[in-house]
Amino acid sequence: MIRRAALCVTLALSLTGTAGANPRIVSLNMCTDQLVLALADREQIAGISHLAHRPAMSWHWQQAQGLRTLAGQAEEVLPLRPDLVVTASFARTQTRALLHRQGLTVEGFGSARSVADVRDQIRRAGALFGHTDRADAAIARIDGALARLIEQPLDRPVRALPLERRGWVSGGDTLMADLLRLAGFDNLGIAAGLAGGRLTLEQIVRLQPEVLVLSSDPERADDQGTALLSHPALARLVPPHRRIVLPQAMTICAGPMLADALDRLADERRSLRAR
Amino acid sequence: MLGPVRLSPGEVLAALTGTTGDPVHAIIVRDLRLPRTLLAALIGATLGLSGAALQGLTRNPLADPALFGAPQSAAFAAVALVSFAGFDILSFAVPVAGIIGALVSVTLLFTLTGRDAPMVVVLLAGLALSSLAGALTALALNLAPNIYAALEIAFWLMGSLEDRSMQHLVLALPFMAAGSALMALTAPSLRALSLGEDVAASLGVSVARTRALIILGVALGVGAAVAVAGAIGFIGLVAPHLVRSATGHDPARTMGASAIAGAALLLAADCAVRLAPPTSDLKVGIVTALIGAPFFLALVARQRRLLAGDLP
Repeated sequence: MIRRAALCVTLALSLTGTAGANPRIVSLNMCTDQLVLALADREQIAGISHLAHRPAMSWHWQQAQGLRTLAGQAEEVLPLRPDLVVTASFARTQTRALLHRQGLTVEGFGSARSVADVRDQIRRAGALFGHTDRADAAIARIDGALARLIEQPLDRPVRALPLERRGWVSGGDTLMADLLRLAGFDNLGIAAGLAGGRLTLEQIVRLQPEVLVLSSDPERADDQGTALLSHPALARLVPPHRRIVLPQAMTICAGPMLADALDRLADERRSLRAR
Repeated sequence: MLGPVRLSPGEVLAALTGTTGDPVHAIIVRDLRLPRTLLAALIGATLGLSGAALQGLTRNPLADPALFGAPQSAAFAAVALVSFAGFDILSFAVPVAGIIGALVSVTLLFTLTGRDAPMVVVLLAGLALSSLAGALTALALNLAPNIYAALEIAFWLMGSLEDRSMQHLVLALPFMAAGSALMALTAPSLRALSLGEDVAASLGVSVARTRALIILGVALGVGAAVAVAGAIGFIGLVAPHLVRSATGHDPARTMGASAIAGAALLLAADCAVRLAPPTSDLKVGIVTALIGAPFFLALVARQRRLLAGDLP
């Protein structure tokens, strides 16, 4: 009797286990890679994008080691028979439609334009992957970092320009803009429009930024776009001690690393004040 | 005076002489526009001189550094060095690589086509060599570990003077000056050569020595120019023809005038670029090609009989 009851319980457990088993996931975009790598179990991950291995962009590049990488074509995905395909909602329309027609569940994630967007994406990804607990913990960590950033505002709005290689400036409706606003900076990136764009050095000089927010501080220029960041005009305009570095991998995608980005921004702002 | 930020001649002068009170004006004029203007003039002069020297040496009115694949090969060598050997793009290794690339290319073409090759053979071999080096440049940028490098194919193959600094001038100037001096040295020999190789030989002019000096001079000048501004085309072809009506067919006189015409041409082309909307990312090489390519066609049309006569 007891044995039968135990068997029943085991059976029931294994049944719920099968029915509610966490989905096997393929990610086709570097940003959805970050959500998958941060929130899903390793066994759930059937494939990630080939950019997930690049330390310059992919925050979770170390977790990406050893996982199958995909170039993003439908024919690579189909044989993997995943339960869920996650990718960017703004790219690969054809691939997504094709996979959908083949009966796969495809979920698109837009680009995160604010801290609120990042929270939403983490929550949604957590629910999809079957790990709401991890999502909640990540969101709590972000909220903690956000509180620390807002705690000590700047005495006055400092004019900051988010600048990347080749003179690329992220615009007014981006996660970078939201971060700078929360940190109390006056964001000059608005000059490049809402989505961002390229400014020439002359335009940058005319904006007279007090602080440059860079995504990297390369020790060597390996292309013309990077060499622009070491142009003497820029050095004279904003000396090195008034540049803050917020690594691209922290801010390019939505994910739990936003907490690290917020803490880093608070640190850099503090050292700016100390100088 | 030309650029996205409007400055009056007076403001530019004040910024240049250091009497301006506006630090923004000082940075724009001294750190951005001055190096760009100087580079345009010096690169234009080097290319104009190279074209005149090559036309004088080969007695081929269609000769220019690009005909010998020099700019494209220089771009390939520079790109390969930066992409795969880990050199900084602002190091002296880059112009040195460009010079070696240009030298290999020009020497190869002279060797391949031999001494008395018909003009058509030289043109076709040069075209093949240029295309190959251009394709290799794009390939190297595509395969570079730096995924952003591929965005700069247009810079290397069309050429641009945007956002150059005094660092670029320092990198290129010594080599361009040395190359120009070598080419200028050959002026008397070229004058003798214009009378024919036999006459020149009887006057004590060594054709081999003249050729070696010009190859080296072109490689130094063009290689260094490409290393800092990409492969800007057609200046070397057009400049000598612009001045020939005034200088006649004396190669020695053509060389100096052609250098000045080349400088004026590239400055004018770059001014056109500066007038374009700042976000257009227009390359100066596109402007020089828009002027130079129709010019080249007109030259070919005029030389048609000569070209046809060369065919076996």
